[in-house]
This record gives sequence, structure tokens and C-alpha cells, in this order.
Amino acid sequence: MTDARTKEAIRYLGYGRHAVDEQTLALIDVSFGELDQTTQAKSVYRIFDCKVTGEDQVTIGKMNIKSRSLGKNLRGCKEAVVFGATLGTGVDMLMKRYSLTDMAKSVVLQACAAAYLEEYCDDLQLSIEEELKAQNKWLRPRFSPGYGDFDIHHQDDILRMLDTAKKIGLTMTDSYMLTPTKSVTALIGISDTQEKCHIKGCEVCEKKDCIYRRN
Amino acid sequence: MNIRERLGKELLFLDGGMGTLLQAEGLAPGELPETWNIEHPEKVEAIHRRYYEAGSDVVLANTFGANVCKFHDDRYTVEEVIRAGIANAKRAGEQIGKETYVALDMGPTGKLLKPMGDLDFDDAYEAFAEAVRYGEKYGADLIHIETMSDTYEVKAAILAAKENSSLPVFVTMIFDERGKLLTGGDVPSVVAMLEGLRVDALGLNCGLGPKQMLPILEDLRRYTSLPVIVKPNAGLPKQKNGETYYDVEPDEFARIMQEVVKGGACVIGGCCGTTPEHIKKLVEECKDLPLCGIEKKHDTIVSSYGQAVILDDMPRIIGERINPTGKKKFKEALKNEDMDYILKEAITQQDKGAHILDVNVGLPDIDEVAMMEKVVKELQSVTSLPLQIDTVDGKAMERAMRIYNGKPMINSVNGKQVSMDEVFPLIRKYGGVVVGLTIDEEGIPKDAEGRVRVAGKIINEAAKYGIDKKDIVIDVLTMTISSEKDGAKVTLEALKRVREEFGVRTVLGVSNISFGLPRRPIVNSYFYAMAMQNGLTAGIINPSSEDMMKAYRSYNALMGFDENCTNYISTYAGTTETVTVQASQTGTATGSASKTADGKMTLKYAIERGLKEEAHHITRELIGTREPLDIIQEELIPALNVVGDGFEKGTVFLPQLLMSADAAKIAFAVIKDVLASSGQEEEKKEKIILATVKGDIHDIGKNIVKVLLENYGFDVIDLGKDVPPEAIVEKAVEENVTLVGLSALMTTTVVSMEETIKLLREKKPDCKVMVGGAVLNQDYADMIGADFYGKDAMQSVHYAQKFFGMAE
Repeated sequence: MTDARTKEAIRYLGYGRHAVDEQTLALIDVSFGELDQTTQAKSVYRIFDCKVTGEDQVTIGKMNIKSRSLGKNLRGCKEAVVFGATLGTGVDMLMKRYSLTDMAKSVVLQACAAAYLEEYCDDLQLSIEEELKAQNKWLRPRFSPGYGDFDIHHQDDILRMLDTAKKIGLTMTDSYMLTPTKSVTALIGISDTQEKCHIKGCEVCEKKDCIYRRN
Repeated sequence: MNIRERLGKELLFLDGGMGTLLQAEGLAPGELPETWNIEHPEKVEAIHRRYYEAGSDVVLANTFGANVCKFHDDRYTVEEVIRAGIANAKRAGEQIGKETYVALDMGPTGKLLKPMGDLDFDDAYEAFAEAVRYGEKYGADLIHIETMSDTYEVKAAILAAKENSSLPVFVTMIFDERGKLLTGGDVPSVVAMLEGLRVDALGLNCGLGPKQMLPILEDLRRYTSLPVIVKPNAGLPKQKNGETYYDVEPDEFARIMQEVVKGGACVIGGCCGTTPEHIKKLVEECKDLPLCGIEKKHDTIVSSYGQAVILDDMPRIIGERINPTGKKKFKEALKNEDMDYILKEAITQQDKGAHILDVNVGLPDIDEVAMMEKVVKELQSVTSLPLQIDTVDGKAMERAMRIYNGKPMINSVNGKQVSMDEVFPLIRKYGGVVVGLTIDEEGIPKDAEGRVRVAGKIINEAAKYGIDKKDIVIDVLTMTISSEKDGAKVTLEALKRVREEFGVRTVLGVSNISFGLPRRPIVNSYFYAMAMQNGLTAGIINPSSEDMMKAYRSYNALMGFDENCTNYISTYAGTTETVTVQASQTGTATGSASKTADGKMTLKYAIERGLKEEAHHITRELIGTREPLDIIQEELIPALNVVGDGFEKGTVFLPQLLMSADAAKIAFAVIKDVLASSGQEEEKKEKIILATVKGDIHDIGKNIVKVLLENYGFDVIDLGKDVPPEAIVEKAVEENVTLVGLSALMTTTVVSMEETIKLLREKKPDCKVMVGGAVLNQDYADMIGADFYGKDAMQSVHYAQKFFGMAE
């Protein structure tokens, strides 16, 4: 029995359609066990007004974004969820430790942490959606700075709008990298109509030859 | 009256939330609240006045984010918003009809400090220091450092406050419901560090409501000897329609705050979601309550960013291995700045059961101050064990104490006046538990009486600095029994007496006892057990020594420190006296393929399958029968090639490639040891520099490349992550390196990659550059002028081999 997060971790490790070997599978198992001990997952979100003008002008609260791909993602949404999530600094330290003593473990741990974070975000997204359903509202796939032509520099605006440093300990470096490293920020459009869609943004990504792509 | 004179003698009231009220007045999410000090001074002043009228003695000026790391505004400077912020609060306090105080409010920088983030400790210090200087200049009565969730950042803020002003310093931090900081620290670790830094009052704010703070308050009061501040939110944050709100009303808030006062708080107020109405009720309900007294505590605590170690009756282990004395390899590592070697020593000792790690990096020909700083910082990135700073160099000691994230142990001071004059002021300033060696101007006293006398002298001298004896642990010194017949007896007697007469905790370097004797671990472990029996708190030992650990675990089981013998059983159940090499469990799962004709596993097989234990074992066996170079050429290299080819064909995957690499690394290490001990020169290796470029903190790709290059016989100089172009170029020039590998994850950091290449072209034109990383491709690599783009780690290996003209 391979659970969803294990499948996801295997995908991140680049196995594609190949069967995973027993040794790696065992490492994945141990890694998730250690992550369950170490992670301190935290999240924060707020809902802002959202307006899409023309092809590529998006306004979320007071943040103005020029992005065609985000415009497409949010078309027709009057509101959007802005959210941030992190697994905490403990995971970074664990990966650093293993990079000194067991590189294979470090790489597997990294993939497992990414899968862990995705699953955490999915769960969060589902619970937000559950709350919104009562008002006949649905969520679009989440969209993060750096996807498509959504400029990574908006990371700063998002962190400030959510006050993530204080609320969940999520910050960024001068080069706009999130710290702790296993963290995510994203926008999720709120739509009045239910569309047949996936929670994640993978399929909408234009990098079709990406080896990490599902399917 | 100075607030210090009232602190702890009467109940003092702080104000409540500021952000929520400003938002109600129109402050937008993401807007900098401090700009309102200048743009809407009347509104800010009005909020302060409402708090004073509600009964606050102290209001916090609207300067929470006024530091250069957080406050980025093109209209106003940090000085302007602090000056205006304090002026607004002062005006609000006029005509209130009682004595009021204005605090310079200092919140976090909003950045994560190194090693987890990119903000340097000294830069954080400077940002806070600037705010402190303006705070004092424009008339703040005290400094309130609040809403901190990282001990390292709070340490920078406290040092900035104390070194740049003489104002009282209040500190409150955010704990979660389990009593932990975001960074993992617990209550005793926070108390130990803050008291060591000599703040005036400490406590809790934000994160929780008053009810959830009660158990944490109890924990605080259990450990602290200082006045306690409690400043809760109006309940736990709740969310509705994507908005945060707090729903504990003023009446209920005030009622629970009565419990808080009865629980021992003597400075109270509110945080997020609390309003002047909350404070008004709070003052009404609490003002007549009597204060609990403040009790002096006697726990000896050392701490790191993530945990406290309380030195109590159960013995603890100080790992002795990070020390070059008598260790050739360690000396080499220090000279070559081989941090990996040193860090692995730390990880091993932690895994073997050490509670504290001694850190000694003193060598005659290195810059000990710089090395001590570097090693302490690096250690803090891989271990949460508290450190014992071990040096005779006062400057190295001070630097380490300054940048240490927690309350360190200090090794050592002694009974000589000159030593005490140097060390005690540092303990006074930075905090620490200091090891006092019972030696003075007249040398080491021969008898126990003499050593007890010196211990007393150290304790008395420390008291003159306000250093309590709980922060002193005495080392009565271990003498070698082969040269001093009564050495052990004197030490044991002295140990017992300092415990009984002074009530202090103790430390001993144990292994000196057996110097010059055969099979030293036998004597060491028996002496260790005897020492614990006579009151040894923390032995400085090698936790990898099974004899010592047997003594330690047995002692704990025998003396009732190991409940139900759980630890003893989990360690030794199912084991036997002789050590056998156990086959790795993961390996057996794949062991279906034939190994050799006679069914015995070959080294080639073990490496292909990534079986580390087996690779180690078989290499040791082979060493006796075959030439080391043959083993490399006929077993190791072919195995690596098979795996490498498979990886490139897509039949072997990254984890497998790395398991093989790790197994090969172990085999190489065995061979290297043999070569070294037989005096044979290793083959000269080609040098390659690897670095993750400036601004980039994702180094896993670089680490993968490093492991593989090392396996293929290259000497990798790993400069780490977030490395400035200048540092890479300087190293390349200094070591005359002709191949540099750079990694970058994002478009924002490829810029520094390009800068590095440009600078290399200028200063070291014969140096080639290979690049790799998630956002890179051939076009991008060409654009920034790289010589080679490696799609994966194996390609870097091939390029390096080709570059150095080696056969593949």
C-alpha cells in the first residue's frame, strides 16, 4: 500500500513511471516518520478583494500584479484567498544534518518534506473551501509567486499582507526565498461557479516537459 | 520615579493592542503602522491617551516595526518615526494626573537570522541598536522588546538595548500552548538566557489568550527570579471569512487576569485584540490584588536555542571530542577549515548520548577568535545541544559568548586573580555557567582541603560581580594515578566536599586519570562511576566510548535516575558482549541477485547496492589481501561507473546513486586510513571549488555534486551556501583552483551567479566555471557566460574528468 504522500515523494525523486526500489521506499518511510516528529506546520490566510482587468492586470487588496498567467487563473473572481504555510525550521536543520552524514537520506527527506507540505496545503485548501461552500463559493487551483509570469518579488507583499513573520514565523531572504525553506505562499481565487478542477497548480503550469510533472 | 524602583513592588499596568485600533482607524494590511506617527499623529496620540485614561502606567510607543530591517519607506527614516512615536505617547501622558511611562517598543526584524535565514546576527544587533539610540535620545523611559519568537534575535535586541542605553529592559516572547517558541525553545531555556543577559523583567505576550498563558506563567515562575510580565491576546485567534478576530470580552479578560496576578505576574497588559475597555476592566479588577513575592531560584541551567539542560542530581554528559588535543585528524580539519569533519563529530556525540558539547578549537597557528566564531555558528546549525565554550583566549571566549544562541557553559575560570578578573565580567555581561578550576597562583593544591578552599575563593569572587553560585560548577581536577598514588582519592574527596559544603554542581575531565596506563577505558570507566557516586554532575567524556557509556547507564539505572530501567533496557536488550557487524536491514531486501560464484558478497556488489556496513566490512577484509590501489581500480571505480551509467540511462535513481556514493565513501575512508598509517602518500587530487551563490540558501544540489565529485577522486573545497562572489574568487586565487562549480535555485539568485563568473574572469582568467540549478538551462548558462551547464550531478563529474584530462 502506497499512500498519497509517498507517491508524491517518489514523483519528486524523479522516478516517473518506474517502480521504486525497496531501499528507497524504506528511506521514504523512515523520513516521513522523522518529519512527523519534527515538523511544526503552521499556516495563515486572509481573504481580499480581487479584480482582474484586461489580460494581465490583477489587484488583490492593495497589491497590483501584472501577470498573464495569474490573470487567467483568477479571471472572474471577485475575491481571493492569500495564504502562507510553513513546516518550520526544524526540517531545515534535519536536512542539513543528513547532508553531512547520509546524502541519500537528505535527498529523500527533502522530497518527503515537499510532499508533506503539499499535502498540508491541500488539506488547508479543502477546509477553506468547506467553509465557503455554504456561501456557494468555490476555490480555483492555488497559484504561487514564481509560477508562470507571476513575479517572485510579490513574495514581499504577500508576507506583509499576512504578517507571516509574527504569525507563523515565515520570512524571506533578500533574494525573495522563503525561510524556513519548506514554506509556501499562494493566491487562491474564489469563484461563484464550481469548475471541474484540481486543487494544485501542477497541471496549469506551462513547463510541459518538467520531469516532476504528474501524468 | 524610575520604573525600576516600582518594578516588582507594585502591580504595573501596560497598555493593550495598537494594530487592531489603527486598523479600525483605516490602516491597511501591509501598510507600515509607524508612518502614522507622522501622518496621523492625533489618531495615534488619542489611542495612547485612551490607554492612560483606562489606567495604564506604561504605554508602548508606536515603534514596533521601527528598525531598518523591517521599516522600508521612501518618505520617512527610522529616526523620524521613532521621534514622532515617542512624542505622541509623551503628549498623551500629559495631564493624566499620575506618573506615566513611555516605552520604546521593539518588535522583531521580520527576518530569520542565520543559519536558517539570511540575516546576520551583527546586522540584527545594529538594526536594534539604531532604534535604541533614538529611543533614549527622544526620551523613552524604558525599552520593551516584545513578540519575539527566536532567542537569537532577542539576544541581539537585548545586547543592543544594554550596550546603547542605560534604560530598563523588559522582554516578552511568544510561546505556543505547549510552552514552546516557534524556534523550539522552552521556558527554562528562555529564562536562563534572559536572566543571563540581565534583563529587568521578562514574560509572555501575544500568541495566546490569558487562559492559555496560565500554565506557561506557572512554568516561568518555577524557573525565574525576575519580575514577570503577562500581556495576552483577547483569546486565541479565530478566523471567519478569512479575517482574524479575538473574542474574549473585557469582563472575562479581566477576570482571568486576576488569576494571572495571583499566579505571580506583576506587570500586566494586553496584546492583539485587546482595547482600552479591556485595560479599564483589567485595572478595576486587579488593582487591589496583593502581589506574589519573587523567589530566588537555584537551578543551574545551560541552554541552546532549542533546549535547556538543567544540571541537577542526575549526571549529564559533556562530549569532549571537539578538541584538537592529541588528534591529528582534528588538527588537520581545523587548519583546512574542514567544517564537515567537526560537525560530524558533533552529530556523532549527540547520537551517542551527549547532553552538552565542549568546543575547543585552540591551535598555535590559527586565528582562534575567528575559528571559534565560525565553529560555534556552524554547530548551531546542526545541533540543538548546548555548547561549552572551551578556551584560554579571552577574546575568543567573548566572541563566542556574544554570538552563542543561548546560555553557554564556559570552560573555564580558575582561582588566579588574573583569570577571575578576565572571565567574570564576561559572565556578568553575557550570562553563562562557568567551570571553576581549583587551581590558583600556588598551583593545584595537593589535598582536598586545598581544592575546596580554592573553590570557595572562586565562588566568593564571583559574588562580587553578582554572579550566583548556581552559575558556577566546580572542577576539582583529575590527577593521573600513575604519577600520583592518591590522585583519585583526593579528587573524589574534594568532589564530595564541594557538593556538600557549597551546594554547587561539579564537572570533571575524567580520562586524565589513566594517563600512561594500558587499556585506559577500564580505569576511566571505573573512576567515572566512582566520581558520579561522589557527586560528579557532568563528566567531560567521549560518549562514543562504550565503556564510559556502560558506566553512565548503569549508574543511572542503579541510582533510580532511569525509571523502570527504560533507557538501560532499550540500549542493551538483545545485545551481547562481543560486537558483531550487523548486516544492514535495508540491504537484505534486495539481496536476491547473485553476488559471486561462491555466494560471498563482493565489494562491487555492496557499493552498487548502497550497502554501507557491508562496504566497510568487506573493504577491511580486502585490505589484507589486495593492494589498496587495486581495490579502487577493480572494485570501487567499476561499481561507481555501473551506478553512474544506470543513473544517466534512467534505470537508477537519485537516492540509489547517493546510497552507492555513501557506501563508496566509506570504503574510500578505510583505504585512506590504511594508506595514511602505512605512510604512503595519497595520490595528488585535483581541486574543485563548489559554492551555492550569494543570496541562495538552497544547497542540496551542490551537496549532491560534492559527494559524487569526491567519490571520483576530486578534492572538493566546499564554500557552503550564500557565498559572496569575492569569497569564491579569493579562494580560487589563493588555492590556485582552475574549476569552480556554482549552483543557484532561482532567477533572483542567478544574478549573483553571473556576477561571480564576471569576477572570476577578471581575477582568475584560467578558471573554468560549471553551473547547475533548478532554473538553469543551456541557454541561460550561455547567457551568463558559464563554461558548462550540468543538467545533473553525473554530468558535472564527466565535465570535471574531461577538464582535468582524466580517463573516464
